[in-house]
Amino acid sequence: MVERKIKTVYDVVCPFCGTLCDDLEVDIDIKEDSVIEVRNGCQIGTKKFFSSNPSGHRYLKPRIKANGEHKEVSWDEALDAAADILVKAKRPLLYGFSSTECEAQSKGVELAEILGAILDNTASVCHGPSLLAIQDVGAPLSTLGEYKNRADLVIFWGSNPVHAHPRHLGRYSEFVRGYFRKDGRNDRFIIVVDPRNTHTAQIADLYIQVKPNEDYELINAIRATLRGVELDAKEVSGVSIEKIRELVDMLKLCNFGVIFFGMGLTQTLAHHRNIDAAICLTRELNDHTKFLLEPMRGHYNVTGANQVFTWNTGYAYSIDFSRGYPRYNPGEFSSVDLLIKDEVDSSLIVASDPASNFPAAAVKNLFKHPLISIEPHETPTSAFADVVLPAAFAGIECEGTAYRMDKVPLRLRKVKDAPGECLSDKEILEKLIYKVKEKLGE
Amino acid sequence: MVEIKLKLKKKPELPLEADIITPDNFVGKNVADIKKLELYYGKEVVKLGNFFDISGKSTDINDTKIIIDGDLSNVKRIGENMSGGEIIINGNVGMHVGSQMKGGKITVNGNADDWAGAMLQGGELEINGDAGHYVGAAYRGFWQGMKNGTIKVKGKVGNETLAWVNGSKPGKRFPKLICGSAGAFLGIHSHGGIIIVEGDCDRCAGADQVRGAIVVKGKVTKILPSYKKIGEVGEIELPNGEKLTGKFIEYSGDHSVDKNHSKIDKKTGEISKSSNGRLYIAA
Repeated sequence: MVERKIKTVYDVVCPFCGTLCDDLEVDIDIKEDSVIEVRNGCQIGTKKFFSSNPSGHRYLKPRIKANGEHKEVSWDEALDAAADILVKAKRPLLYGFSSTECEAQSKGVELAEILGAILDNTASVCHGPSLLAIQDVGAPLSTLGEYKNRADLVIFWGSNPVHAHPRHLGRYSEFVRGYFRKDGRNDRFIIVVDPRNTHTAQIADLYIQVKPNEDYELINAIRATLRGVELDAKEVSGVSIEKIRELVDMLKLCNFGVIFFGMGLTQTLAHHRNIDAAICLTRELNDHTKFLLEPMRGHYNVTGANQVFTWNTGYAYSIDFSRGYPRYNPGEFSSVDLLIKDEVDSSLIVASDPASNFPAAAVKNLFKHPLISIEPHETPTSAFADVVLPAAFAGIECEGTAYRMDKVPLRLRKVKDAPGECLSDKEILEKLIYKVKEKLGE
Repeated sequence: MVEIKLKLKKKPELPLEADIITPDNFVGKNVADIKKLELYYGKEVVKLGNFFDISGKSTDINDTKIIIDGDLSNVKRIGENMSGGEIIINGNVGMHVGSQMKGGKITVNGNADDWAGAMLQGGELEINGDAGHYVGAAYRGFWQGMKNGTIKVKGKVGNETLAWVNGSKPGKRFPKLICGSAGAFLGIHSHGGIIIVEGDCDRCAGADQVRGAIVVKGKVTKILPSYKKIGEVGEIELPNGEKLTGKFIEYSGDHSVDKNHSKIDKKTGEISKSSNGRLYIAA
């Protein structure tokens, strides 16, 4: 039997989803510097810790593409090549940032400003519409602790936490016992609105099946019914008027309600107008009882990316620095639109994999121009990158700050060292800024 | 009328931000001066003369006519903030054409991209082709969009046309749009806009409309559940006093908005004939 020296790190924050669970225990093999056991984590978060172990997928040294093949080079050479690409570009795009810590994101803003680049984060393909709606009509939000301790009516609208945020239900919204909700699940009434009968819907008290892409009409009907208007229609979005009336009664009767909404609202037709209507509904429900809503953010630090970008530039995503000052217009400066129209001439992708998630037309144009990828392991994006800068996993191999989905900042912990020559995203961006400044003669 | 002619040499690869092309900026300048005007190409500052062949001269702003030829689909912000004179664009044009314009006239003999006439304050924008999304809409986060003036689009307009449009009867501001057909969320959050659609209209027309009138002479994919049918009418009086004749079904709404709800009598359920939003659809 091989003898192992094990170190256990307690109270680790999980860098996977926006729930940002902060009670993980991670066992590390000291000799091999690898994760051997993760306790308290969900399936997805645990897997992320294991994926940081040395394997064939991880980049250990910087790489440059030459004659169609990646070859390992020194940091100096790789950074020089990357800075060259960025300085020569007339309209570079900096995208990603949601799976790294706030300090690195802030460096990203600095680099974008120096380059006159376009700066975007993954919110532009997930909860960007929520931000647009919040700018239009405001938002009654709160921290997750409030929902845990007080909520007796919870609505999951177009979100499926059983699969996407597995511990959200146990920690904040459904099964957890709160200060005023001593009986946990029995003290809460759960409603799920979704076109699919998801696993979240199967454990709910009431499931409302809405027709795909018709959420706006349903919210609209609920709002009108809440005002006491007799609707002309007999059925809205596949839901009968009787059922809508029943639902409105429930919403009015609860002591403290909350709507958790996900991609089912933000990325179906009507996008930000769905959220606009949901926010107006929440606001109007406050005439009768206490009601709040909360976006179910995906990446663990996408909220942080929005926060950092906002305090640095005034805008949360889709920012254009080409005129020297920040300008904001999703649809014009958002990555997918820019790439589809082929309006960028080089890109730097930080901790993200657009090649797997963007539309094919956008990915085609992304690969057409020089591409730099800051990435811990091989992804479809980094495989086609001209320069690959190997990064350490933020929250596993380096410290940093991350914002939970309710905008609460938490300190990420370092549980082990990064393998090979990997550096943290922050260090890489700092070095890149230095190189770029050198080339620009500043 | 003095004419200044611009001809695009070659379609730019990256978007060219040409907010400098307005009669206001050209007035009192000769060709050499106009060629030296600066604009943004990506992050580079370039001269207007690098991209356009220019001829003509201008003296007085209201007497200035700018004629632009070429495929301008990658040239943005032409006529932004202009206050007088005329621009004629022969070809397709990029985003933000005539945005925040205060006076004068722009004619586009082609298609326009998104945000055409966004937050228009006055003047006239005529597009003899199709227009993109957010025609005459408020920019992100603004609560007052198009305030005055007229937009005419011969073809179709995209989604969220005239979002947050803001007209005022006492202020004698009647922002108006006439279009061939319309996409979804036409006149969302409208506060007194006048919208006439000659053809069909997609879902959610007049969502969250507080005041104003939307007239659809063709079909509507789906009417919002919060709109209440009033009845059939033979003549419509628009907020600016104009009259339209024809058989229309009149709807009142959007009744999910607080301000409109107060227009329903609590005892009788009758809808007040006063200033809440109206949607007219051809019978």
